[in-house]
Amino acid sequence: MAVRGKVLIVEDDRAICNFMRRVLEANGYEAVLVYTGREANSMLASHCPDIVILDLGLPDMDGMEVLAGLRRWSLMPVVVVSARTDEREKVRALDAGADDYITKPFGTSELLARIRTAIRHTRTTNGNVGIAKDNRFTARGLVIDYDKYRVYIDGRDANLTQNEFKLVALLGRYAGRVLTYDYLIREIWGPNKAYDNQILRVNMANIRRKIEENPAEPKYIFTEVGVGYRMIEGD
Amino acid sequence: MRGLMRRIGSALNLVREMMIPRKQGMRQITRNMGLTLLILGAASIVCSLMNTVSSSDSAVPMVFVLAVLLTARLTDGYFYSLFATAASVVAVNYVFTFPYFEFNFSLTGYPLTFVTMFAVSVVVGMLTEQVKRQSRIEVEVEKEKMKANLLRSVSHDLRTPLTSIIGSTAAVLENYDILSDDVKRDLIGQVRDDAQWLVRLVENILSITRIKEGAVQIRKNKEAVEEIIAEVLSKFRNLNPDTVVHIHMPDELMLVPMDAMLIEQVLMNMLENAVLHAEGMTEINLKVECAEGNAVFTVADDGKGIDETILPALFTDMFAHAEKMSGDGRRSMGIGLSACASVIRAHGGEMHAENRPEGGACVSFTLPMMEVTENGSQR
Repeated sequence: MAVRGKVLIVEDDRAICNFMRRVLEANGYEAVLVYTGREANSMLASHCPDIVILDLGLPDMDGMEVLAGLRRWSLMPVVVVSARTDEREKVRALDAGADDYITKPFGTSELLARIRTAIRHTRTTNGNVGIAKDNRFTARGLVIDYDKYRVYIDGRDANLTQNEFKLVALLGRYAGRVLTYDYLIREIWGPNKAYDNQILRVNMANIRRKIEENPAEPKYIFTEVGVGYRMIEGD
Repeated sequence: MRGLMRRIGSALNLVREMMIPRKQGMRQITRNMGLTLLILGAASIVCSLMNTVSSSDSAVPMVFVLAVLLTARLTDGYFYSLFATAASVVAVNYVFTFPYFEFNFSLTGYPLTFVTMFAVSVVVGMLTEQVKRQSRIEVEVEKEKMKANLLRSVSHDLRTPLTSIIGSTAAVLENYDILSDDVKRDLIGQVRDDAQWLVRLVENILSITRIKEGAVQIRKNKEAVEEIIAEVLSKFRNLNPDTVVHIHMPDELMLVPMDAMLIEQVLMNMLENAVLHAEGMTEINLKVECAEGNAVFTVADDGKGIDETILPALFTDMFAHAEKMSGDGRRSMGIGLSACASVIRAHGGEMHAENRPEGGACVSFTLPMMEVTENGSQR
């Protein structure tokens, strides 16, 4: 099997490192392990991995420092691993430039999906192969047509308003990745609306009623409660 | 005489420094001061009325002794009652007794009246403090008891899945060549299930400790109910793919102030209890509705229902039934439900459990739709 990419794992717990290494190697990735923030800093520069899996709770420094240091010189994808179920920690990491996060305890399929998504987003300029090719995003019955500014569900026009389309379009561009509330609000309504989550909630509720069959069991746009929204990965 | 006043003044200063409970909020000071002035005012009015009715002043000191007693009982610390004493001395001597608007301490019995007032204020204040301290101690003891119960119940709940994990892994490792692949897969699957159970247990413990000592550390945000339900449902379906769950929800968007993570956990616990305890259950109904300014969440199943003997104390007597149920191993739900109930109480809502007349259990909770800004509910 061809090597799919080099993954740098920064994690101080040997058992978790071991399990991640096995899973990644079994799936065709090359895994490099480091256990401290200082090691991470030197390995990042010398190895230039395709993706970094970064644990936030390191013995010698906060994982956020490693992230901040890396972001000064590189845009390589970073998936943050956090044991804290604190949403604000995740939001902080995402806003500091992490591409995605995964919460302990996690399953192998979740880990692989996050890695796949994060790597793909750096390889295609537009974030998504479908969008790059014909300016369309397709996931199951959902089609976002970026030329016509239209969203179709099973072939029918979903009749989204302008802002609703902007939201869906943005989530589609970063399909598979979680976008924080603040990021979405800034992108759609500008910087002055920051921290007014309600306008975003109401718009999302309207979108859900237009594109989802059952708002309580969404198929396309998922909520990461306390963090943001995530569009299903494209076909 | 001026010496006496000065002495009372310096005593007051000393007392103020020593006896006003530290960190008294502005609100509390206003409340205490208001109460003191109110009582003294009432006493003055009563005395003026008596003065107009009869010419005798003999009841005046008694009225003020009563005022001092009330002040000492109703306010915090000694300062206010001593202040009331001083004010009463002035009022009794200067205003309400002959000679009016003149100090005269030479009349017989007056020093005694003042000493009585002083003693009343100090003694009652002391008793009040003692009662308060006593009740604080009782609360502490109750908390310690809860902690001990929690620990006991936790260590019991931890031991069972851990034993199973160690047993299963040892079985695979030590008999690797003998066991068939199917058996090994089964044992490893068992380990994963047990580990997932442990994760949920730990999450419940964490949320209990977050809501500790009545000082609630929840962060409320307006959340869309459908988003919460969707996330709970997807997590639940991952763990229990075969369980049928029906959702009933109003069509319009409901925004309810809540700590999303904790409420998700409560709903998850309620759904899992139905799976674990409702024998014979075929479907779960999760309903959300809006009633009297509350969002009402209900989880109903069609299983065997909740044992009538533990039903009355399901949320209040947190651990008694957990021990009663420890017969069937890890299936105790003591921590789960008590965690749920404390989360809901911290939100200003209520939790109920009952058996449905048509069979099966029904657990519900309410969340106020309006932002409650009572003390401590928000941080």
